Amino acid sequence: MVGEMETQRTFDLALTINGKPWSGKVPVEETLLEFLRDRLRLTGTKRSCESQVCGACTVLVDDQAISACGYLAFEAHGGSVLTIEGLASGNDLDPLQQAFIRNVGSQCGYCTPGQIMAAKALLLENPTPTREEIAEWLSGNICRCGAYPAIAASILEASRQGPGR
Amino acid sequence: MLFPLRLLRPTTVAEASGELARLGERARLYAGGAELLPLLRHRLIEADCLIDIKPIPSLNRIAWDGSRVRIGAAVTHRRLETAPVTRERLPLLASAESQVANIRVRNQGTLGGNLCFNDPHSDPATALLVHEATVAVAGAGGERRMALGDFLVGMYATALGPDEILVEVEVPPLPPGWGGAYLRVHRFQRPTVGVAAAAKLRDRRLEGARLAVGCVGPKAQRLGELEARVQGLPGTEAARVIGEAKGYLRGLLQPVDDLLGSADYKLHITSVLLGRALSQALESNVTGSG
Repeated sequence: MVGEMETQRTFDLALTINGKPWSGKVPVEETLLEFLRDRLRLTGTKRSCESQVCGACTVLVDDQAISACGYLAFEAHGGSVLTIEGLASGNDLDPLQQAFIRNVGSQCGYCTPGQIMAAKALLLENPTPTREEIAEWLSGNICRCGAYPAIAASILEASRQGPGR
Repeated sequence: MLFPLRLLRPTTVAEASGELARLGERARLYAGGAELLPLLRHRLIEADCLIDIKPIPSLNRIAWDGSRVRIGAAVTHRRLETAPVTRERLPLLASAESQVANIRVRNQGTLGGNLCFNDPHSDPATALLVHEATVAVAGAGGERRMALGDFLVGMYATALGPDEILVEVEVPPLPPGWGGAYLRVHRFQRPTVGVAAAAKLRDRRLEGARLAVGCVGPKAQRLGELEARVQGLPGTEAARVIGEAKGYLRGLLQPVDDLLGSADYKLHITSVLLGRALSQALESNVTGSG
């Protein structure tokens, strides 16, 4: 037989956020989205559908795209979280950010951080995607303004510049 | 916002099952959370404790045992989509997994969670039925195995007992010379219709065919009667028989009108996709090696 296990209400979390270490206690039920926006005031990551459908809260954990709304913060323990705030290097924007600006890859801009982070995950895995591969990968990132052609053009252009930092 | 939750992180199946028995319905098994967290958020289920089964090493394995690919319940959709062993030996399943939801859900969601939740609008079960997969579940009474079709009891319902955990899914490749295809139609995140077909021709006639449909009925199902009807027919004749099988499909699947479409629409799409999947299965020579 197995003895009773101790349940925990908080988690001693240690991780890096945009390259900087962070450690502290978080409630078990705290989502990564709440952790980023409410605890760290990193509000570039957007809250929208809260059901892993729209992609507005896309961030990278160990280079993998996830929905911060549906991901408990403790799951990132020991890992490396990258948000839109961590993409630029000082004043040097990531090639994706530059390409989105040049191509006007957004209208209202609400979905843009999620679009760029999803694209970042794609380029880390596949630095030279085709337009079809981009469309397939970003099919879960919704833009209600319908800026899809410019979003795809931005990612294609960034990919030709080679990987960002 | 989620209600306050407590966390348990067992490292063996016996520990997890013991805690599940002790805590009852207030505790829920937690793997990827892709299905569970939205339910908790929307208060559709009440629970105050998560039993995280990802730290159990055996649940994270994908292994070839000489006749089957054995997939731990906590393996993510993304791993099944990309792992060499599934791409080579189970291309039909890898194809279905590559179409699940979106890249974020595939990175996080697990095969075990998907099957245990048994949402009718799902992809993997349909592909696995055509593979004639079996599942292993474990609880206080020990481990037992059953066909996936018996595990999937009905809409959101499985054969799992209150202290039981889905441990592993065992998937044999299609028999030598068979081809397979998984096709779906989706307007939203979850598929409206998903079909899987596997078949082999011999002397231009169907030596065998396996057909399954998901999303249209309360659970993914094999179409045994239709499989028997098309056996021995030339491919084009089989496609005609499938096209005329709407009455059979309606009786078996009992589709309903909903936001994804009318029952008639779903039946029409089902028969069209089944015909296409069968012809793609017959054209494909990437059956995976047995």
